[in-house]
Amino acid sequence: MFYGKKLKLSGADMLMHALHDEGVEMIFGYPGGAALHIYDAIFRQDKVEHILVRHEQGATHAADGYARSTGKPGVVLVTSGPGATNAITGIATAFMDSIPMVVLSCQVASHLIGTDAFQETDMIGVSRPIVKHSYTVFDAEEIPKTIKEAFYVATSGRPGPVVIDIPKDMTAPENLFDYQYPDEVSIRSYNPPINPDKDQVERAVEAIIKSNRPVIYAGGGAIASNAEEELSQLNEIMDAPVTNTLMGLGIYPATHHRFLGMLGMHGTYQANMAMHNADLIIAVGARFDDRITNSPSKFAPNAKVIHLDVDHSSVSKIIEANVAVFGQVKNSLQAIIRTLKERTEDYDKEALKPWHNKIKEWKSLHGLNYGLYKDESDSHQILPQAVVQHVYQITKGEAFITSDVGQHQMFAAQYYHFDKPRRWINSGGLGTMGFGLPSAMGVKLAFPNDEVVCITGEGSIQMCIQELSTCLQYNLPIKIININNEALGMVKQWQDMNYGGRHSESTYQNSLPDFVKLAESYGHVGIKIEKNSELKAGLEKAFAMKDKLVFVDIYVDPSEHVYPMLVANNSLEDMWLSKDKKT
Amino acid sequence: MIKRKLILIMENKPGALVRVVGLFHQRGYNIESLHVDPVEDFTPYKHIEDKLDTKFESNQISRLTIHTMVSNTLMRQILRQLNKLIDVIAVSNEETTYLKGVLLDENLL
Repeated sequence: MFYGKKLKLSGADMLMHALHDEGVEMIFGYPGGAALHIYDAIFRQDKVEHILVRHEQGATHAADGYARSTGKPGVVLVTSGPGATNAITGIATAFMDSIPMVVLSCQVASHLIGTDAFQETDMIGVSRPIVKHSYTVFDAEEIPKTIKEAFYVATSGRPGPVVIDIPKDMTAPENLFDYQYPDEVSIRSYNPPINPDKDQVERAVEAIIKSNRPVIYAGGGAIASNAEEELSQLNEIMDAPVTNTLMGLGIYPATHHRFLGMLGMHGTYQANMAMHNADLIIAVGARFDDRITNSPSKFAPNAKVIHLDVDHSSVSKIIEANVAVFGQVKNSLQAIIRTLKERTEDYDKEALKPWHNKIKEWKSLHGLNYGLYKDESDSHQILPQAVVQHVYQITKGEAFITSDVGQHQMFAAQYYHFDKPRRWINSGGLGTMGFGLPSAMGVKLAFPNDEVVCITGEGSIQMCIQELSTCLQYNLPIKIININNEALGMVKQWQDMNYGGRHSESTYQNSLPDFVKLAESYGHVGIKIEKNSELKAGLEKAFAMKDKLVFVDIYVDPSEHVYPMLVANNSLEDMWLSKDKKT
Repeated sequence: MIKRKLILIMENKPGALVRVVGLFHQRGYNIESLHVDPVEDFTPYKHIEDKLDTKFESNQISRLTIHTMVSNTLMRQILRQLNKLIDVIAVSNEETTYLKGVLLDENLL
């Protein structure tokens, strides 16, 4: 057998063997001088598939999309210098959203390090603030152990990206080593918490029993921990309203009658009101980001906070937690469920009735309009919200949706209802434009039989548009829904609201490309939709082309804003509900 | 804001010190003074070796002493952020110690 134990291999071959032994199916990369030994080793094997992107940022986002949708670590291979620095935005994106990723960045040969050699960059230094950890290979023999450690660090505790810097001479074909992949790994200075403290769990249950107005607030950490079932089980007992962060969408079924929608900056009225008026907030793998809390001093004034997290430093960082439960969120939830079950007679579901009534009232007062897709009148321009609703209807809510950053991202988060986790793939923390298309490639490669849709805007899509070529090479029939308002919509919205409508550098002066021709030049299909009456049929036509990448360029009302929107430096009850209506 | 002392025991690995110093800059904390020594005499750290079930060897670990001006709440955050660094074995502020991710109510260093 090609892959066995105790082989004499070069550093580059050991690297490929180690990736295979680690269970890696595909890597995303781009070759270059310092990476050539490794690329030759890739040529010699057929176990790990290499996906050739068109820009290293695309490689990191594709690996990121693969990781978010599968839960497995994404793997990236780039060359030294510009290859490595081009990967930085994607690494920072994964870091901010705690996505497991291993980035193999090649380096000039050891003897050249520090000499300003051709394509030399101190990648460990450049990437340090945006990685969970990083390694330099100083001894080729260490490659298998380093790979094992890197995957362990990237995927355990609070996941994150790990960079391995590999000088070219470490992968030289003439130096051979005994290859053996370690079975186990342990790092004496690293010990992420797994099971929660019993005392903390009991205090959490006590607080749950005493509450009359609880809200479960679940974020990306709950998805990272695969705590979908536990969250549902907990709420079968509690029957509390649930809200998800932008990163947490899908961890609790959006169509469940207790789901409030997303909270925060562009969260639903009822979700923000419920958080503000709660007497207990159960934070499950969520970190009280500034897009969630608005002004921390005015945040949920009467709420006790139970914070479940794997990362000590996330708890009481922004909002002081009354009860901190450290551990894998999944394990912590299991412990809370067990303890709560022993005390079911103490927990009175009926006591929540007035709270549910209040929430019902909020929903009816300022709920989002989910029926926009029914309006096919040409008396007005296409509404971006209606586009998302149509996509939701056509894909029956079962698609993987990736997005870029801006208004279209918020509309997608508000109007596409995710019933399962890992279906909503977006850059929440860093807010990276250009994320949508390459991440959709990673998702489509992992799930070739599922519908993968990239909801984007004409600004974001142009930031990684070159990946249309990758989509052709690997035959990735993604559907690109380009919500085209001929402006950087979210920038323009802020300029409308806070800068007297002065649209400084947020429009393109008629310089947009013809996206239909652009898609066609890459060998794909382009469809342009300008009228409301054409929207449904146009989208249906696009989705009917199962084996084609279809770029649907949809011209929407450029004056549309995203609402609700929190009023800055205030509490969660202070929202703009429309252009001229505030709470 | 008061001047506080932090002590770290960390793996003596390339780049480990930069991670600590970089973290202070990245998170907006201030360093008043910094002192680093390789640990040669392990007798004061016998209890750490026992707790970690490991044996320190020559040139393997460093001891850092950092003085910083911070509030109490920020102190806790700094401790937790330092504890998160993979190469940091233990970090203490004279009252509490994070040892390999576990919070202990004593000064172990």
